[in-house]
Amino acid sequence: MSALAGTRPAPRPGALAGAVAAEWTKLWSVRSTWWTMLSAVLLTAATAGQLAIYADNANTNDDPADDRGVVTLGSVLIDSLELTQYAVLALGLLAVTAEFGTGTLRTTLRCTPSRGRVLLAKAAVTAAVTFGLGLLLGAVGALVAAPVLGEWGAAPAGGTVRDVVASAAYLALVSVLALGLGAVLRSAVLTVIVLLAVLMIVPLSLQEPGIAVLTRIADAFPGVAGGHFLAGDGEPYPPVVGLLLLAGWAAAALAAGRAALRRRDA
Amino acid sequence: MITLRGLTKRFGPATAVDDLTVDILPGRVTGFLGPNGAGKSTTMRMILGLDRPTAGRALVDGRPYRELRHPLHTVGALLDAGAIHPARSGRAHLLAAARSNGIPRRRVDEVLALVGLDERAAAKPGRMLSLGMGQRLGIAGALLGDPPVLLFDEPVNGLDPDGVRWIRQLARSLADQGRTVLVSSHLMSEMQQAADQLVVIGRGRLITDAPVAEVLAGGAAAVRVRVPQPSGLAALAARLAGEAVTVEADGPDELTVTGLTAERVGDLAYDLGVRLHELTPVTPSLEQAFMALTGGSVEYAAGSPQPEAAR
Repeated sequence: MSALAGTRPAPRPGALAGAVAAEWTKLWSVRSTWWTMLSAVLLTAATAGQLAIYADNANTNDDPADDRGVVTLGSVLIDSLELTQYAVLALGLLAVTAEFGTGTLRTTLRCTPSRGRVLLAKAAVTAAVTFGLGLLLGAVGALVAAPVLGEWGAAPAGGTVRDVVASAAYLALVSVLALGLGAVLRSAVLTVIVLLAVLMIVPLSLQEPGIAVLTRIADAFPGVAGGHFLAGDGEPYPPVVGLLLLAGWAAAALAAGRAALRRRDA
Repeated sequence: MITLRGLTKRFGPATAVDDLTVDILPGRVTGFLGPNGAGKSTTMRMILGLDRPTAGRALVDGRPYRELRHPLHTVGALLDAGAIHPARSGRAHLLAAARSNGIPRRRVDEVLALVGLDERAAAKPGRMLSLGMGQRLGIAGALLGDPPVLLFDEPVNGLDPDGVRWIRQLARSLADQGRTVLVSSHLMSEMQQAADQLVVIGRGRLITDAPVAEVLAGGAAAVRVRVPQPSGLAALAARLAGEAVTVEADGPDELTVTGLTAERVGDLAYDLGVRLHELTPVTPSLEQAFMALTGGSVEYAAGSPQPEAAR
């Protein structure tokens, strides 16, 4: 290297730390991040409130002292994710598809030529932010749903906290899955369509006929696996397996995104 | 220093860059010339690790770009300046790049001042930036890491005359500091004043790699002859035809002779007893030298297609 390079101050952060800092700066310097988070909050409030009303209305038990018909607050929060996850995973999606759309990916790759490092940095920022957002959504959902449920709701402290943290983990992993898919597919719309199919449409279609083999296949899909993890089911596999399956999907999507970025011209 | 060795890029059946071997040396401004579609931008993208070469290598200070950990300290580039998020401010755009390479925040303010973008301009979102402001922002980004190698792809696009002069002086001062400066353009006149060395490509192939002065001298020198009598003109043209030179009739009484010195043309006219009203050596502009070099390599030539120039 030339003498010019030698005159610069030596200490520099690691390349990954730098890439993470850059992604963090990029995320908070566009207003769409705030709008996305606001929409997730509003959607959660609406969905949790609605689910709580359903839970009330579905009750046919006249005696609240009898616990038939009482739902946990956590289960309402978890059920609301079915819809609100799409607002949250938009953060992961946009972190990469917006770069394709605006041509800024070329700047990003010039700053950090390692494709794997770029995706890892984006995944770290996406996971941290969506996990935090997930905790916030849990609090918002609880604040709205608890008064609506009233006597028909149960909120054991330990269980509710566990459900909120699990929801946040689910949202973080699904957002990373969206990020990896976005890197492969490049278009935001296409990525949303594929996510809808993978998270909902395909596994629902597989479960519909009630054929054991198809149901088992559906259990391996990320949305279903995440659902088993959130519900704390013992069947068809322990919750931790559901978590690992979902994490595996997210990791596979990142690996596919890295391969696509390495192979393709930017 | 930039080293290209057998650099080749194919997009399906089309060859964008064809076996390019060239060294871009430090301490001077190298003009990278070629008609639109000649492969200049593709070459620059391969140098920057954005496009994968089909064959060959592009090295910066001896290393492939993709192996650099903090590349902004080694290479700065202005490449499609419009590529900024429409909602992100120019300043945040630079700040993200700076943080990725461990460059302190104050350096962002320094380069913004250097390219003449004030606080208000730097706070504008990308969609509000004019083409000229985008170019300046791109150049600020290139200078962030104070790199020894700089690439500017069509930097004068969208700039006013002041901006053009500024770019020229900037490139000159960066080269004078001992840096490698590669500036692409399809405008010859610009390069004639700005560059020391010229790398000319056409249809992805290297046409010439030489100092500007040499390219100018090599561009066929011509002689303009004005003959008042039509009979004399015809006689001189006939005589010149025997000398294996190119003769073009530029008007009713004018010829442009390529391949002979003015002295020789004057002697021939004297021998024939032809009266001359003008005998002027014409120094070719870089534009003409370039046309002569790339005549066969223009991707979309107007008019009838010409056979591809032999390498």
